[in-house]
Amino acid sequence: MIGRWVIVDTDHPSAPSDFEIEELTWAGGVCPFCLGNESLTPPEITAIRDPATLPNTPGWQVRVVPNKFPALQIEGDLNRKGLGIYDMSNGVGAHEVIIETPYHHKDIPDLLNEEIENIIATVCSRALDLVKDKRFKYIMIFKNYGPSAGASLEHPHTQIIALPMVPKNVLEEIHGAHAYFEYRERCIFCDMIRQETQEKERVILENKHFVSFCPFVSRFPFEIMIAPKKHSSYFCHIPKEEIPSLASILKDTITKIKKIFPKLAYNYIIHTTPIDGEETEGYHWHIEFMPKLMRVAGFEWGTGFYIVPTPPELAARYLKEIKD
Amino acid sequence: MPELRKDPIIGRWVIIATERAKRPDQFAASAQGPKEGPCPFCEGQESHTPAEIYAIRPNRTPANTAGWELRVIPSIAPFLRIEGDLDRHGRGIYDLMNGIGAHEVVIETNQHIANIADLSDEQITKVVACYIDRIKDLEKDTRFKYVLVFKNYGWVAGGGRVGHSRSQLIATPVNPKRVKEELVGARYYFEHHERCIFCDLIKQELDTKDRLILDIDGFIAVAPFASRFPFEVWILPKKHCADFTKMEVCLRRDFAKILKQTLLKLKVGLNDPPYNYILHTAPFRRNKVGYWKSIDYDYHWHIEIMPRLTRVAGFEWGTGFYICPLPPENAAKFLREVKI
Repeated sequence: MIGRWVIVDTDHPSAPSDFEIEELTWAGGVCPFCLGNESLTPPEITAIRDPATLPNTPGWQVRVVPNKFPALQIEGDLNRKGLGIYDMSNGVGAHEVIIETPYHHKDIPDLLNEEIENIIATVCSRALDLVKDKRFKYIMIFKNYGPSAGASLEHPHTQIIALPMVPKNVLEEIHGAHAYFEYRERCIFCDMIRQETQEKERVILENKHFVSFCPFVSRFPFEIMIAPKKHSSYFCHIPKEEIPSLASILKDTITKIKKIFPKLAYNYIIHTTPIDGEETEGYHWHIEFMPKLMRVAGFEWGTGFYIVPTPPELAARYLKEIKD
Repeated sequence: MPELRKDPIIGRWVIIATERAKRPDQFAASAQGPKEGPCPFCEGQESHTPAEIYAIRPNRTPANTAGWELRVIPSIAPFLRIEGDLDRHGRGIYDLMNGIGAHEVVIETNQHIANIADLSDEQITKVVACYIDRIKDLEKDTRFKYVLVFKNYGWVAGGGRVGHSRSQLIATPVNPKRVKEELVGARYYFEHHERCIFCDLIKQELDTKDRLILDIDGFIAVAPFASRFPFEVWILPKKHCADFTKMEVCLRRDFAKILKQTLLKLKVGLNDPPYNYILHTAPFRRNKVGYWKSIDYDYHWHIEIMPRLTRVAGFEWGTGFYICPLPPENAAKFLREVKI
């Protein structure tokens, strides 16, 4: 009908009793992402570790492992088929987890800038590696932090999913940006960033290479966008010298919002250009940060029309006023 | 006045509350619902709600007093305001308009019952009739393009503090994006096949029966092939009809019956889960030349029920790509076997 794809877990279908209606606290128990528990995860794909330590042993700072319960599986060829009026594709893809720190309770604001730079560099190198696989069309990088944001483990981690198709929301953004580009021969994101940094009303932080602001058309209260000031299509092509700027704005922005909402659950997503995509001129990578402060209800689902109880100008003012 | 803003990239509108702007300390930190307070929706409490817009009063009792079976009131916290003229303007690269619209609450029963599934077939038939009457009335206001009818049941699903069964109607001055996407998709299929995609879907589901949950008189309830959520259910009329308000009067009771049985199966089988349902119907068509010419043929009204059992996380938000942990065939089998 509207061209949206969904993933159906046929390998481990959940029984009705597997769903918890209300999950308020963390499950507890042994954390497979903690230092010393390396044997509880699948073998690592890569890691930043001290010299002379072996893979899958302690001595690491950032570690990448395959997801133990992947939404998609890496083996096999892509196979699309029809079933009456319906379209199907097998679930080929990659699903990796970047364990951001060996320490269970350290989120981004608790890490050193250099540690965050390591995380960014690791995410980039994994994305660059996955891009080489011809079956994949899009690399999606995101973080779920806190149970109400959909994180199943408490230990801070980022996820990478390589997809055999470009997801619908990304396509829409790319088509929108392309239409603007065709018409004005300028990138809409560059124009937006120019307008935001001039008006300053919604800007939270700005450094040499990046700006963080509450978007004019926020969908959620305290939604934040972090974008490179210079036009750039691919996140994974970020120049080495810009990584410290990104680490610092990411840390300072999240620190500010967690000062306002100490127990905040959040999601962030890196929006980047599809691999070898068509009509991608005028697309500009960026990070969308979405605090989980509201319950999305029927109206939002039905319309794709969001109700924002805190205007972004006001949210930006609260965030700006927080002292580090 | 709330403000509507348009995303310059993908064309999505959002509503920004400017008057009742929330401060950071007004967001509840926990996901747990607050304790239930006194109920303003029960019979005898009429003075605690805004004045009614519509009511079913079989004994012709005066408005805003006891003696009603169903009441519609304006929302106490409306997302959009009814007064004023539409005003669209630009600000730099951004588009905005003032937040004109209507936001009404249907109090579905005078009893303090939380879930519509526990109301009688007769009472749900009245709810259906009320939806139709209210949509038809709002259609007269030419500022509106669409009326969204939906229900939030349970705190997690966005429901309120009070466990008294109700649903909401919102009339919007623009056609919402998801509604448009569905219309465009249906029209595209019609252009290629000269058939309604929903009619084809119903035929295929009745043939294969894998995803069929209920087949009652003029309606079917199915777990959709591309379910976004576990136990997602759609109810569709078997006979082609684009517009919910054009449903034949004799079908209203059948629709009430299948809605009740479906929701009851979810309640019994899944331990009373929170859910949302949303009515999908054709937007207002006011004799615009060339506008959605084929809509009466290519679109087919239906209702989508989404139990809220999983949380939507970063992946779904970012991609619009849902991970459904339960195949709809298994969900349908489970729901078929639930005894109600």
